[in-house]
Amino acid sequence: MAIVKMSKFDLLAFNSDRENLLHELQKFNYVHFLDLKEDVSLEDYDLNTVEVPESIVAIDEKIAKVRNTLEILSKYRKKESAFKTMQEGLETFEFTELEERALQIEYDTICNEILTLNRNIDELGQGIVKSNADISELSPWIKLDTPIKDLESFKQVELILGTIPRKLGQKVEDDLVTTEHTYYEVLSEDKENLYVLVMTSKDENVLSNEILRNCSFSNVKIDIEGEPALEIAKIEDNIKSLKEKISENEIKLENLTEELPDLQIVYEYLMNRKLRITSSENFLATDTINVIEGYIPTDMSEEFTEIVKKTLNNDCYIELKEAEKDDEEAPILLKNSKFARAFESLTGMYALPKYNEVDPTPFLAPFYSFFFGMMVADVGYGLMLLVCTFLVLKVFNLTETQKDTIRFFYYHSIFTILWGLIYGSFFSFSIPTGILDTGIQYNEILIIAIIFGIIHIYFALGINAYMSIRDGKPLDALFDVGFWYMALTGGILLLVSSVATLPANLAAISKYVMIIGMVGIVLTGGRQSSSIGGRLVSGLYSLYGISSYVGDFVSYSRLMALGLSGGFIASAINDMVGMLFDTGIIGIIFGIVVFVVGQLFNLFLSLLSAYVHSIRLTYVEFFGKFYEGGGTAFKTLRNKAKYISIK
Amino acid sequence: MAEFMVNYGGVVWGALGAAVAVFLSGIGSAKGVGMVGEAAAALMVDQSEKFGKSLVLQLLPGTQGLYGFVIGLLALGSLNASMPLAHGLYIFMACLPVGLSGWWSAIFQGRTATAGINLLAKNDEQSTKGIIYAVMVETYALLGFVISLILLNAVSF
Repeated sequence: MAIVKMSKFDLLAFNSDRENLLHELQKFNYVHFLDLKEDVSLEDYDLNTVEVPESIVAIDEKIAKVRNTLEILSKYRKKESAFKTMQEGLETFEFTELEERALQIEYDTICNEILTLNRNIDELGQGIVKSNADISELSPWIKLDTPIKDLESFKQVELILGTIPRKLGQKVEDDLVTTEHTYYEVLSEDKENLYVLVMTSKDENVLSNEILRNCSFSNVKIDIEGEPALEIAKIEDNIKSLKEKISENEIKLENLTEELPDLQIVYEYLMNRKLRITSSENFLATDTINVIEGYIPTDMSEEFTEIVKKTLNNDCYIELKEAEKDDEEAPILLKNSKFARAFESLTGMYALPKYNEVDPTPFLAPFYSFFFGMMVADVGYGLMLLVCTFLVLKVFNLTETQKDTIRFFYYHSIFTILWGLIYGSFFSFSIPTGILDTGIQYNEILIIAIIFGIIHIYFALGINAYMSIRDGKPLDALFDVGFWYMALTGGILLLVSSVATLPANLAAISKYVMIIGMVGIVLTGGRQSSSIGGRLVSGLYSLYGISSYVGDFVSYSRLMALGLSGGFIASAINDMVGMLFDTGIIGIIFGIVVFVVGQLFNLFLSLLSAYVHSIRLTYVEFFGKFYEGGGTAFKTLRNKAKYISIK
Repeated sequence: MAEFMVNYGGVVWGALGAAVAVFLSGIGSAKGVGMVGEAAAALMVDQSEKFGKSLVLQLLPGTQGLYGFVIGLLALGSLNASMPLAHGLYIFMACLPVGLSGWWSAIFQGRTATAGINLLAKNDEQSTKGIIYAVMVETYALLGFVISLILLNAVSF
C-alpha cells in the first residue's frame, strides 16, 4: 500500500556479455536503468557511450515490414463481432513462451508474400485506372465503324477528326455551307465539345481548314489502329481480367489472414528486442567493460543478484544498496490494494509522487468514490452502472489495466446507489427511502456538502502532518497543520455560533483557539526567511491564505449543485414523458423512446460531470494541502504489448 | 396599457422568463456545439477512428441549452393567466442566471473544447485532459442553473 521501496544497483560487466545479460534481465522485467550519459559524476572517467549497434537499423526495418504487413492483413480480416472479440480478449503469453513461438515463425517469407500480393493488387488497380482512361478517350469516337488506320488511305479525300467548342457548332455548319466537297458530321458531344468528323476533297482542303481553324477546331489523333468500338470491347475484357486477378489476390490475402496472430507475436517479439537494444544506450563503457546503473524493487534484490551472477558466471562487480529517502532519481512504482489500484490512474494523471512522499492513491480513493456517488445520486443510474460493470468484469476477458478502469466505475456505482437512497431518487421518481428532498432541502444539502469539504481538507492536512512527523519534524507538523487546524476550527465554530445557539463558553473558547492559531501562523508561517521583518511579512501572507480556504470550502458546493442538476434534468424528462403518455397509444410509444434516450443521455452527462468534478476536488482542494508529486515512473524492461498480453 | 399590464403583465413576464432561459442558453450551446463540430469535422478527414472521442467533446457545450430548457420547463409550470405582475417579474428575474451564464459559458466552453479537438488530433492519449479542461468551464453555467432552480422554488406567491 504505497510506493514500492527501491534499491540502486551498480554493475560492471564485460562488453561481450551485454546482450545475454539484457536478455535475461528482460525476462526478469523489473529493472529501471539510469541514463548515465547525464550523470555528471562519471564525466571524469573517460568513459564512452555505448554505440547503438547497427542491428537496431535492421530491427527497425523488420518492425516496419511486419507492421506494414499487419496493416494490410487487418484490412482483409473477417470482422468478428465486437462482443466476441471482447469476450475472448487478448491471448496471454509467458515472456519466454513468446520468444520461443516468435523464433519458430518464418515471418519473413510470409511478409514478403503478403507484401507482394498487396503490391500486385496495387499495380493491377493502376492498370484498371489506365484502361478506364483509355476508354473515356475512345468513347467519343465509338460511331466510327472503320478501323482508324484506314482513314488515312484515301486518295482524293482528306479525313479529319477533331473537337470544336460547343458554342461554335452552329457557326461551323453555317460556314461550311459555302464549300462544295466537304462533309461534316458531329459524332458525339459532351458538356464542352463537339467531336466531329470532316471529309473534304484534297482540292478544297485549304478553304475548309481555314473555316475550321476560325472555329477553334483542334485536331485529334487517335492512337489505335482498329475500330474504336472493338478496341473498347477489348479494353473492357482486359479490365475484367484485371479485376479477376485482383480478386484472386484478395482471396489469397484473405486466406493469409490466419497468419495474423503469428505475425502479431513476431511484432511484439521484435518490439521487445528493439527495447532491449536501445536500453543499452543508457550504459557507459570502456573498451571491454560496461558501466550499468539502475533501480530494482528492494524485495526482488536477491532474485536480481542471482540472475545477474548466473548469467555472467560471476564475472562481474555488483553493488546493491537501498535508495535514500530523498533520492531524486529513484523511480516510482505503486503497489496498492485491489480497491485503491483502480484509482492509480488518477494519481498518475496528476503526477506520480516523489520517492520521499506518500502515495496519495489509497487516501483519495474513498473520498473520490463518495463524492462521485453524491454527484450522480440516483438508485436507477447506480444500478445500471453496477450491472453493466459487473457483467463486463465477468463476461469479458480484459487486460489488468482495463479491469482497473471498469472496477473504478464499479465502486462508484455502490456510492451512487447509496446517495440515490438518501435523496430518494430512482430515475428521478421519488422513492420512500429519501432522507433529504432535493427540491426543498437544498440548503441542508449545501451545508452537508461543505461539511464533507471540511472533512476532506482536514484529512489532507492530517496527511501533511503525518509526513512531517514521519520525517522527524514534529514542529513542522504543529506549525503548518496544527495552527491551521486551530485557526480553521475556531473560525468555523465562531461563524456557526453567530447563526445558531451553541453553549456560551464554546463560542468564547473557539474565539481564543482561533486567535492562538492565527498568531501561531503569523509567527511561524515565514520561518524560512532570515530577517525578522521578512518572517513577519511572510507570516502575515501565510495567514492571508485563510481566504483561499474559504474558496476551497465553497468549492464543495458543486457536490450539491451537480446532484440537483442531474436530478432536475431527469425529472424534466419524466415530466415530458408523462405529458406524452396522456396523449394515447402513439404518445406512449414516443414517450418510451424519449424516456430511454433522455435518461441515457442524462446518465452520460451525470457520469462525465461527476468524474471531472471529483477530479477537481481531488487535485485542487485535496492535493493542494499536502501533495507535490513529480516522481519519474518506473520503466520496466518490456515493451507495452499491443496485440497480446504478456505475463 | 397600464390596465393590460396589471391584468396580464404577470403571465407575459413569466413567459418571457421561460423564453429567455431557453433561447439565451440555446444560442450559446448552438454556437459552442457548432464551433467544436467544425473543428471535429476537419479531424475526420484522416482520423475517422477518433469520432467517438470528438463527439464527447462536441456534446460538452450542449448542456447549457439543456439547463436552460429545464428551467424554462419549470417556469412554464408555474404560469397561469391570472398571476400577479410581481410573480411574473420574479420568474423573469429567476430565469436570468441560467440564461446569461449558459449563453456565455457555452461559447467559452466551445472554445476550450475546440482546443481539446486539437489535442485529440495530435496526441490521442492526452485527450481526456482536454475533456477535463472543457468541463471546468461548465461549472459556472451549473451555478447559474442551480441558482435559477432555487429561485424558482424558493418564494411562493
